[in-house]
Amino acid sequence: MAAAIETKQLTKSYKARQAGTINVVDHLDLHVEEGEIFGFLGPNGAGKTTTIKMLLGIIYPTSGEGFVLGKEIGDMDVHRLISYLPERPYYYEHMTGLELLKFYGSLFGLTDKDKFIKLLEKVNLHRDMTKTISQYSKGMQQRVGLAQSLLNDPKLLFLDEPTGGLDPIAHREIRDLILSFRDEGRTVFISSHELSEVELICDRVAIINKGVIAAQGKLTELLKGGRIEITAEGVAESLLADMKITDANVRTLPVGFMLDMPEENDPNSVIDAIRSQKGRVISVVPRRKRLEDLFVETVSSSGVNS
Amino acid sequence: MRPILAIASTTVGEAIRRRVLLVILLIGVLFIVVAPGLGILSARSETTVLRGFMLGVIQGVSCIIAVILTVYMIPNEIERRTIYTILSKPVQRWQFLVGKYLGAVLSLLLMMAMMSAVMAFVFFLQQQSKNVGEVADLMKGPMMYFVQMCLLAAVGIFFSTFLAPLVNFFLTVGVFLMGTFFNPLFQTLQENQNTVPFVKYFAQGVNTFLPNFANYNVQNPIINPTSVIQNEGRYYLGITVYGLVYICILLIIGILIFDRKEV
Repeated sequence: MAAAIETKQLTKSYKARQAGTINVVDHLDLHVEEGEIFGFLGPNGAGKTTTIKMLLGIIYPTSGEGFVLGKEIGDMDVHRLISYLPERPYYYEHMTGLELLKFYGSLFGLTDKDKFIKLLEKVNLHRDMTKTISQYSKGMQQRVGLAQSLLNDPKLLFLDEPTGGLDPIAHREIRDLILSFRDEGRTVFISSHELSEVELICDRVAIINKGVIAAQGKLTELLKGGRIEITAEGVAESLLADMKITDANVRTLPVGFMLDMPEENDPNSVIDAIRSQKGRVISVVPRRKRLEDLFVETVSSSGVNS
Repeated sequence: MRPILAIASTTVGEAIRRRVLLVILLIGVLFIVVAPGLGILSARSETTVLRGFMLGVIQGVSCIIAVILTVYMIPNEIERRTIYTILSKPVQRWQFLVGKYLGAVLSLLLMMAMMSAVMAFVFFLQQQSKNVGEVADLMKGPMMYFVQMCLLAAVGIFFSTFLAPLVNFFLTVGVFLMGTFFNPLFQTLQENQNTVPFVKYFAQGVNTFLPNFANYNVQNPIINPTSVIQNEGRYYLGITVYGLVYICILLIIGILIFDRKEV
């Protein structure tokens, strides 16, 4: 599959008076495929926004290269095919929702009012399109931001903390919209702290810490390593020892025992073995590895949380 | 061209809603309206005082508006992150800067036109003879002040590409005051044969780099009919072209700086 974003050793350095040169983004190799939702995660100050700004051509890399939709970053032709929703965006407050879309549309040479109204309908703001931005709630401002980011029918969307500071209902609305972007074949690059959100919608993620990629890959692969807990009674624990399950822990309970084993093992064979000995399976609980666990693990192992 | 016009019209929309600018404008209009009452406070001809005062108000108020309007222009866009959504669209940085400048100029035009219209109306009512020609003559002042303010706005925008608003405010006001009051002084020093060479070169250097705002202070011939400008049309055209050239130079250097700026 073609790469929507590709960076090779992309670096951004700043000179600090006392600390010398600081690499905010350090030799970043990133690969985002077309049509996927990519989560870009990291603690505060990890270099997420700096990376996005470099990819958008708003700031310039110190070294390395980056390609967006196959063209070098900063190429104006690419700007016709991408869009950006910054973290906590501010829009000209005197404008109405419709005027805001007209303004951003005019930057693309668009004047079709029907298209603006349709976009406002898509983000469920058509009833409030004559209200000024100053009258909009945070969630409405975020939705009008998403509408402006769809004006040019983009192939690639950069969303910086798209659900930050929103209530659960607005969260859900934005999440559904992002999922609809993937269904429409767009690539979405999300920088976020909302790990549960990212886990729900992203195909692949990269975790950045101190400007360095600490982990990158498919969520399903990165979250491998979960465990399964099987609680049973009426059967000898020695049965489990005979099955030679690697990395298994057995804990004796007042009634029966609990087996804790890696998810790679087939739970059915254990259940079958217990039943064949006339034992009773009380519960089978998969303990899936969560993105939060992976995030904390990765950030901790790659350095102190900045 | 379309992005430039869109950015310019948005800038105007913002400017005419900024309360601080509207209050300053209102104070200016108020001063012009009460100006006829000030004639009795002076021993000079009432008309002379009226003309001088009203032109002074327009120039002073326009100067404050031009500085406030421009020094915050770029830093505000960065601080509020509006610049990110704009520059992520197919908009070049030079288009953004030129659009902002055009917006500032159009806002100044609107506000100065409003004050000038009030001035013309007040002056017309105050005149015994109701001579439209004299009113038209009076309007030459605001026209030249407008070019002066366009130049001042270019200075403000230029500095705003690399300076914080507070530093920019003092620097822009400083350049305006120096260009208004020191330019004639340095001109005299430069032309005086008794000036020591070092001072002469210094004066020449300052005169070359500092925009000459004093050129646009054309109120004397308007206020006092005995003071005349030889070949008025040519003079006005000359200083307008001077202003335009200076504005272009400032904008080009500003664009070069802004193009490399990390926003």
